[in-house]
Amino acid sequence: MKNRHIEEIKKQIVIERLRQAPPSVKISFGNSNGGFMSRDQMIEQVEKDTEIGKKIIKIQLEYLRSFKGNTLDGD
Amino acid sequence: MCVLFSRPADDITMNYLHYFSKELVHLSNSLGHKTINKEKDRANRKEIISLIKKQEPNLIMFNGHGSPNEICGHKQEVIVSSDDNPEILKDTIIYSLSCASAAILGKKAVDVGAVSFIGYGQDFALGKDPDSEASPRHDKIAKLFLEPSNLLFSSLIQGKDVKSSVEKAKAKMMENVWYLNTTKSFTEAIYYAPFLFSNYIGLVAHGNQRASIEK
Repeated sequence: MKNRHIEEIKKQIVIERLRQAPPSVKISFGNSNGGFMSRDQMIEQVEKDTEIGKKIIKIQLEYLRSFKGNTLDGD
Repeated sequence: MCVLFSRPADDITMNYLHYFSKELVHLSNSLGHKTINKEKDRANRKEIISLIKKQEPNLIMFNGHGSPNEICGHKQEVIVSSDDNPEILKDTIIYSLSCASAAILGKKAVDVGAVSFIGYGQDFALGKDPDSEASPRHDKIAKLFLEPSNLLFSSLIQGKDVKSSVEKAKAKMMENVWYLNTTKSFTEAIYYAPFLFSNYIGLVAHGNQRASIEK
């Protein structure tokens, strides 16, 4: 129960981060059928718990964790 | 030295990879390597496998869709698969610009004789300029994602070893991530950074890290 709650929080964090982006952002990633996904399409994938959506969550959280680990200190 | 390129162009993403890798074909030619460029519909399983067997390339670049087990060519036809034919990559250095193929196929290929397999252990992400009219040539965002990849393979073509070529690419990726985080030149920049960072994390090399086409 607790794990499911944490996973839901992670999902909402990622959705809110994606919502900050301009709608014009385009990414080709995973099985996006060779095309580029818009911000809203990425949000939809996350909301629907698709394989691509889970990968997007992993990417966003991995990036946030990298700040804690000083991977992005730019030196 | 013999360098083989597999460069499909059958969808928007592949078209971007096709465009940006063109300079690598020119570089290989200019360095006097025997350069075999199979592009568009010629980047198919039958032709690529036949060429690998007959020409025994020292270095192969695969552009294509992929999965942990597979590298694909034109119209997502599987060219190499960990369950089917990883042994055709024997005695070769491979760079696979495809999603996740280093996760399983890359390791299996090295186990059965590939010298080195460089690729991505997770899906490769590519950003695109929001200007819908932007072609690959003018796409400043795609360039940030593909420039490190080109740096990696151009380094290999020029005889540098696997380890230093990968390090060069990773350094460029971090430079570009930093740029995306700090530039004010376009407002969308910061939102692309996590995806390029994912490519940085995903880029791996299996096998002999000191291998090069010179050795």
